[in-house]
Formats: sequence, C-alpha cells, structure tokens
Amino acid sequence: AAMLPALRRCRPGPVPLPALAAALGPGPFPGLCPGWSPRTVPARGRKTRHDPPAKSKAGRVKLPPPVDPEELLVVLERYRQHRLVLSALRAEFRAEVLQRKREERLAAEGSVEEQEEHRRLMAWNDEENARQQARREERARKEEEEQKRKKLEIAEKQARKMEAFLEEKEKEVLQLQEEAKNFITPENLEARIQECLDNPRNYNFAIDKDGRIVKRTVLS
Amino acid sequence: MPMKGRFPLRRTLQYLSQGDVVFKSSVKVMTVNYNTAGELSEGARKFVFFNIPQIQYKNPWVQIMLFRNMTPSPFLRFYLDNGEQVLVDVEDKTNKEITEHVKKILGKSKEMLEKEERERKKLSHPATFGPKKYHLRECMCEIEGQVPCPAFVPLPKEMRGKYKAAMRNEA
Repeated sequence: AAMLPALRRCRPGPVPLPALAAALGPGPFPGLCPGWSPRTVPARGRKTRHDPPAKSKAGRVKLPPPVDPEELLVVLERYRQHRLVLSALRAEFRAEVLQRKREERLAAEGSVEEQEEHRRLMAWNDEENARQQARREERARKEEEEQKRKKLEIAEKQARKMEAFLEEKEKEVLQLQEEAKNFITPENLEARIQECLDNPRNYNFAIDKDGRIVKRTVLS
Repeated sequence: MPMKGRFPLRRTLQYLSQGDVVFKSSVKVMTVNYNTAGELSEGARKFVFFNIPQIQYKNPWVQIMLFRNMTPSPFLRFYLDNGEQVLVDVEDKTNKEITEHVKKILGKSKEMLEKEERERKKLSHPATFGPKKYHLRECMCEIEGQVPCPAFVPLPKEMRGKYKAAMRNEA
C-alpha cells in the first residue's frame, strides 16, 4: 500500500531493524563521532559482537515503538513547514549580506574620484607611450642615418680602391710602352745583332774577401 | 641538491612577499609580449624572470600570460573587467622602471593597502582565546607569567580540586 516509509516500521513481521547501537550512539551528541562519552554507554554488556545471541532470544522479534499515523502526519507536516521557513529565512539573510557587501565594494571602487584617478592615470600612461614612441622613432632614425653613412663610406672606399688599381695599371702600361721602344723587332733584328757583336760586354767581375768588387777585368 | 632553477632565490617566500605591486580588483588579465633576443627586450626579459613571480604571488587571481617572439617590440597589456585594455610599451626600459610604471597606473596605493589591512584586523579581536585558526592563543597557560599548563607542570596541591575537597571534608 502507499504508506509512508516511517509507518512501514510499525507493521509486525520478521523484519528486525539492523540499527542498534549506531542509532543510539549519535543521539545526545551533535556530531557523528564514534567515541563513547559519559552520557552514552555501550549497550553491549558482557558479550562481544562476535558472540552468538542466547538461546532464550531465539524467537525474539524486536518491534519499534508504535506510531500514531495521524499524529505522525501532523508532526511531519509541521516540521516540514518549519524547516521550509527557516531555510528560506537563512537564504534571505545570506543574499542580503552578499548584496550589502557587493554594494559596499562597488561604492568603494566605482566612486567618482576613483574613476577620475583612473582616467588621469590612463592619460599619463598614454603620454608615457607617446614619449616611448618618440624615443623609438629617434632611435630608428639614427640607425637609418648610421646605415646610410656606413654605406656611403663603403662605396667611397670601393671607389678609391678602384682608382688606385686603375692608376697602377696605367703606370704599368706606360712603363711597358717605354720599354717597347727598346724591343727587338724583326726589322731591327739584324741591326741589334750587329750592335751586340760590335760592343762586347764583359760580365766578369772579381771579388775579394773584403767584399770589394772589381769590374774591370780582362775579356778574352 | 634541494635548490631548483637558475635563481632559486625567486622561489623563497621572503623574496615573493617583497613584491609591492598589488593590482586593483578591476584588473583580470595581464599579458606580456617579449622577445628572447635583442638588447631592447632585455628589461622585459628581466621583468618576466624576476618580477612576475612576485606579482603573481601578490595577485593570485590575476591571469598572467607570456608570449615570446611574436612581435618586434615588447609590451604589456592589461585587460580590466569593464572591457578596457591598457597598453604599456616597455621597449628599452629596465625591469625596475617597468614595475614602477605598472605600480603607478594599476597598483593599489599604499593608503589603500593599509586601509584594507586595518579592515582585516578589525574582523578578529586579538584578545580572545580559541582555535589557532581563528585566534592568537588557545589557553591562558601559553602566556608568560601565567600559571603553566598542568599537563607539563603539576599544579601545587592547594590549587587542586581534590585537595580542596579533602580539606573541606576534613573541616
């Protein structure tokens, strides 16, 4: 039948309740601590939990105390309403406290002076950024100038090198031209040979231990 | 060795509590963009290495994100809860200058910090006794000059209840 779970305990039958000392324990105690206090005494008595129950208790059926259904209904309903009201009140107070805290925080932070201060600081920050920007541009400009200067220098050096090189080459060419005048060509070959034969050159020389060179020797 | 990292000093509580940048409650996110190489980013690197642990210790609810080598110049960006973004250019600045700048624009001033400290102190009364979590002392026996705890030093018998009761019964 559709009975309240609490009433199910009252019906007779071999349905012993498993709760014995566990239900008695946390009764006078606010928390569910398992320690025994002077108010709660263990109901075990002489035997331990592992000893079998006595033969005289073989057919014993333990029934819970009888409950009047109407009284139970009334009491449960009253308790339900009481708890409902209490929890609603608690929630109400909690919300009010939170609201007050939030308002106070907002008032402390969202006030006009605070906003003014914030704006002033942001403006200062923007100025600082602008100054930094100016510095950065200055630096970039300097670097560019430096780069250009370096490039110019390199180009100049290159140009100078090229010039020097060209000058060298020019000098060599001129020298060669000069020497070319004394070259032996097929035309003046005969004349040159004749000239050499006519003027014999003496390449012999004498040198003594002191290092004096004597070039005037006898040519044979 | 128990020390970890290049500068294990940064992990000590004393160093961390020396940080003096406490952000206003409107700052939610701090983002640092910096480069791992380059002279101009040196200050930002030092800031990230030395000062960010201090800042995070003092502001555990502020999210700090670091981005490396994403932009040519280093900067900081703060995101406030009203949607405002604050940009701070930190190129070519030392880490001290950066912390000073940040403290000036978004840090709580000293008076505010002291006021908050005073408010916090007002909540708890220093003269009450109770659990260590909420009070300074648990029992009168902890204070110098008072009767020591009978757990360590037995009370003289004149103060004990059984002696007094025996006296009373005798008389």
